[in-house]
Amino acid sequence: MQALDQAALFLIVLAPLAGSLLAMFMSRDRPKDAWYFAILVAAVTLALSIYIFVRYDYTAGGYQLSRSFGWLGAPLDINLSLGVDGISAPLVLLNGIILMGGVLIAQTIKHRTRDFFVLLLALGAGVFGVFIVRDLFFLFFFYELAVLPMYLLIGVWGSSTDFGTFLRTKEYGAMKLMLYLVAGSVLIWIGILALYLEAGQQGVSTFDMAKLSDLARDGGLDPTVQRWIFPLFMIGFGVLAGLWPFHTWSPDGHVAAPTSVSMLHAGVLMKLGAYGIIRVGMDLTPAGAEFWMPVLIGLGTVNVLYGAISAMSQGDLKYVIGYSSVSHMGYVLMGIATLHPIGVAGAVLQMFSHGIMTALFFVLVGAIYDRAHIRDSHILNGLFKRMGVVSFCFAIAGLASLGLPGFSGFIAEFMVFTGAFQSDVRLGFVPMALLAGGLGVVGAAITAVYILRLLARTFFGEADRQWAHLTDASPVEKGVAGAFVLILVVVGVWPEPFLRVINVSVATLLEAF
Amino acid sequence: MELAWLIPVLSFIAFPIIVFWGKRLPGGGAPLAIGAIAAGFALFWVALLGFLAATPDTEHCLTDAATGTLACNFQRAWFNAGLPGLPDSVALSWGMTIDPLALAMLGMVTLVALMVQIYSLGYMKGDPHFGWYYACHALFAAAMLTLVLADSFLLLYVAWELVGACSYLLIGFWHERPAAREAAKKAFIVTRLGDVGLLLGILLLWREVGSFSMTAAFELAHSGEMSHGVATASSLLMLLGAMGKSAQFPFHVWLPDAMEGPTPVSALIHAATMVAAGVYLVARAFPIFQYSGDALMAVAIVGLVTALMASTIALTSTDLKRILAYSTISHLGLMMLSLGAGGYTAALFHLLAHGFSKALLFLGAGSVLHSTEQQDIRHMGGLRKAMPLTALLFSLGAMSLGGIPILAGFWSKDEVLSAVSHGLHPVFIVLALVTALLSALYMARAMFVVFFGPSPESEHHDHPVHDAPLAMAAPMVLLGVLAAGFGLISFNWPGSFGGIGSFLFYHEPEGFHFTWWLGILSTILAVAAFAFGYLVYVRKSLSLEGFRRSFAPAIRVVERKYYVDELYQWVVDRVVMVFSRFIALFDRAVVNDVLVNGPANSARRLGVAMRLHVTGHVYSYALVMALGAAALAILWWWRVA
Amino acid sequence: MVPLTYFQLLSAALFAIGLYGVLARRSAVLIVLSIELMLNAVNINLIAAASHMDGVGRFSNFDGQIIAIFVITIAAAEVGLALAIILRMYRNRATVDVDEINLMKW
Repeated sequence: MQALDQAALFLIVLAPLAGSLLAMFMSRDRPKDAWYFAILVAAVTLALSIYIFVRYDYTAGGYQLSRSFGWLGAPLDINLSLGVDGISAPLVLLNGIILMGGVLIAQTIKHRTRDFFVLLLALGAGVFGVFIVRDLFFLFFFYELAVLPMYLLIGVWGSSTDFGTFLRTKEYGAMKLMLYLVAGSVLIWIGILALYLEAGQQGVSTFDMAKLSDLARDGGLDPTVQRWIFPLFMIGFGVLAGLWPFHTWSPDGHVAAPTSVSMLHAGVLMKLGAYGIIRVGMDLTPAGAEFWMPVLIGLGTVNVLYGAISAMSQGDLKYVIGYSSVSHMGYVLMGIATLHPIGVAGAVLQMFSHGIMTALFFVLVGAIYDRAHIRDSHILNGLFKRMGVVSFCFAIAGLASLGLPGFSGFIAEFMVFTGAFQSDVRLGFVPMALLAGGLGVVGAAITAVYILRLLARTFFGEADRQWAHLTDASPVEKGVAGAFVLILVVVGVWPEPFLRVINVSVATLLEAF
Repeated sequence: MELAWLIPVLSFIAFPIIVFWGKRLPGGGAPLAIGAIAAGFALFWVALLGFLAATPDTEHCLTDAATGTLACNFQRAWFNAGLPGLPDSVALSWGMTIDPLALAMLGMVTLVALMVQIYSLGYMKGDPHFGWYYACHALFAAAMLTLVLADSFLLLYVAWELVGACSYLLIGFWHERPAAREAAKKAFIVTRLGDVGLLLGILLLWREVGSFSMTAAFELAHSGEMSHGVATASSLLMLLGAMGKSAQFPFHVWLPDAMEGPTPVSALIHAATMVAAGVYLVARAFPIFQYSGDALMAVAIVGLVTALMASTIALTSTDLKRILAYSTISHLGLMMLSLGAGGYTAALFHLLAHGFSKALLFLGAGSVLHSTEQQDIRHMGGLRKAMPLTALLFSLGAMSLGGIPILAGFWSKDEVLSAVSHGLHPVFIVLALVTALLSALYMARAMFVVFFGPSPESEHHDHPVHDAPLAMAAPMVLLGVLAAGFGLISFNWPGSFGGIGSFLFYHEPEGFHFTWWLGILSTILAVAAFAFGYLVYVRKSLSLEGFRRSFAPAIRVVERKYYVDELYQWVVDRVVMVFSRFIALFDRAVVNDVLVNGPANSARRLGVAMRLHVTGHVYSYALVMALGAAALAILWWWRVA
Repeated sequence: MVPLTYFQLLSAALFAIGLYGVLARRSAVLIVLSIELMLNAVNINLIAAASHMDGVGRFSNFDGQIIAIFVITIAAAEVGLALAIILRMYRNRATVDVDEINLMKW
């Protein structure tokens, strides 16, 4: 156990990365082998992520399983430092689960299968890296590693859709996603350099996040400078989290992306943004965060309502889910912005729960699209008759997304609202937070409207004859969807194993405020 | 008494078992669901006896200062929001409160659920999704029982939403029928709108109290330390939730449509239990409502408006189940009115009596539907001969709710009227009496037309009408006994039992008080209404044609349900969807095409313009490079010089 | 000792000829030859300066020569690479005229 503890974090990045490199040398002509190999790698990372999550000692708190590998000495002070805390541990687990699900679902990829898994595993490695690294330079490195494969994954394996009045090609989706995320990362990089230089002025010339965090907590960073730096992180990472009005890459990306890429995109990639705001923005520039939170809570509220209202009049299933993701990420941003222990913990739990829920949605939409070759919810109908399991799971995912108790989303959203309703105790923007919490609840009701309308017109009722050939989910799809449903229910009924881990680190995080 | 936690849990366990293995279980899983709820009913008696034996000295029990009754509380940890020990954290628990209110609801819910589930054995026989039906029933029972036992607002909300979801699933049980699908959707969305209010009210209370525990909130209100504004605001918001669930105006539109579900479901969920949850919520949070005062007035007004409106619509409706649905809405309105008047005991007594009677009526209606496959009362008549038992029991229920003396509904309605006359402005009692009269009228209409009136020609030839089979008849008989005799528990019987008012009360035990003038007046009204109905619909010696002709416009307004549905439809189509389409278009045209594609296109145009200088000849690049190097050299030379 | 200026004039002349060759010639081979000429002009300049500047300021005898050897090495590599490219070019397009080979636009 001692040896595994030492190596676990290093291995969880190394395994998918090495898997990605090894897969390059596999034969191009045997796609099944590539799939089996990717499953093996994903299984190893899933096991490691479970191990890390379970191993995290919530009574002790702080960063655990830490390792540091020296790289560049002073004055740059860049080291590969690793460590998980209660905020990243659930997200590591989330990535392990989604990666496994994504790899399994990619069974249907027939074109250049090997290359697909090479990129998918590299993407997974990048995401793991961001979640566990404790150094700004490597955080940025892994962030880019997670973002870049996305371009090829969508551009090569995606699908183009003609919506009548407008066209969304896979190249357009890929290009837009890439440009957006790179633009965001430019802001982040400027922010990181500014932080490095400012800390250097104070005599702490380092990229090490632990040292920078200590510096900020000891009041070593000028609050005015922090106020200039935080918006760079807020918008830079916010782009990835689907922050309004920088969200349009997300629905368009989903429409173009293949199923397993959509799963990773909404399931974990968008979480990187919110995680970055917490880990870099709030932890390293707390004074800036405090200054900008009213803006973030406002934008988060806009996200919730705007996404939900947009989703209401979408026809394409992926657009519906894409805009619903924008709406649900709004709860994450809102929760973060409350700066209240319950609200922030709710935001972290919402990241986990939304990741699973959206991945489930995309598995099901992918299953429908693979068979019907269409995603228009106005043309599809009566799916319950033909695809019972898929429709049943879709109904469950829908109920989870509208915040039905018994599913994890309810606990998370409820905590976000609770935090919003009491955040004035810490902050003093009473009307703003109350309004945000109130509108958030309204947003959940709007979610009910579009989800139920979708269920009624697409899934229930009699099916046209043209859908008579549709078959129900394959065993792999059933397994993945079933596992996701199970997770949603278990976390919804018994959230304590997650919350006790999240609570302790959120409390530490908020000590700076 | 602590075993009461098993009551919901048993049904809850039954749910997944029936979903996954229902097909392999004997009887499609139905015996499991019925067994779970039957065990729940038995455990209810255990809890009741335990509670009656308890004193304030018993462990877990104490006299609740806010309500003045004995309450026993049991808790298990659930989860912590925020790090335990920090000031901003809150520990949430699976907790149950056993007090008279909870016990009364518990008894009614377990009993009616048990009866309805047994009845469904006959009613749903041969349905392809028989197992799923029972699974939903089990889940509903679990959620509803959690709702009445919950000791914290959070848990109440959890159960509240779950019963809504079960109602959604069961209304849409025959989802192939577009009407059922639409009704299910409508029911969920409309109640969900009310639930926005409920959740906001709960959150507002949490902000004030710092805990989700009901006892803590009531304590704060009782001691007068709660801000008056917050009490009013949160109780009004919670009232919104109650109005959604209990189908009070203007959220009533979903309940009549919900009749698209199987009839036993209507009996259980949309008559006896779930729709009463709103009334239960107001009764449960009574200390806060009362502390606010204004909120209580709002409850009374909402109740009165709803009761009047729904009873007029019930008079014009021609669908048997919809008549009953509007009657439910109207009676729920009366309960709200009674709560608003401070008649706590009366409201809950009426809730129980109405629950039994209305469940009976629905089961009777189900029996009619089952054998005639007909829902429109214009195509029915004279069924008394073909189905005597159903006719007898249905009439019993109808007369009970119509307020014919010594039946349950008479006593409970009388208590309500008495409370209203004591607690509120005289206008309320006048209008309440009008409602009582209307209620007797529509009950008489339904009962006489369906069972006693002349049978319409050319009906029932293709399938012989038969009376209810045993599985359906037995529960009806039992409910019939309750509908007839339940009123007897309201008296101060000689001996130890002091009537329901000595058990279920707010602050002070209430004896049975009978306001003579009201009792006599309402008896006269009810008897007159039934006599009138007999003359019009059975003897045909009175004709309403003249009345219909002279009030045609007014009647049309009522027949069209005051155009509330149309108004909602207009708002949804013309406001909500238009706005949504606008936002979606805005997102694509402005946010995406202008703000996102715009800069991208500008960059491309710039590139198109600038590419012209690129000739592709290597020597032109070399020349520029040489000139550049020379320029740098000169610049450097200048600086040195 | 021959004055440094003479070497510099020679070097400048060679460099100018080379530059003219790069800019004016059409044949890729001749352009490469002209580049060689420019490199060698620089070498002459470096070595001459090295032998004259020994001990002046912080310059030592070896600096210029070391750089010259670097230049020669790189020039060799560069010629190898350039000729390889030209060879491929000729194989693909049957010409080494740079006017014809203007692929590097738009």
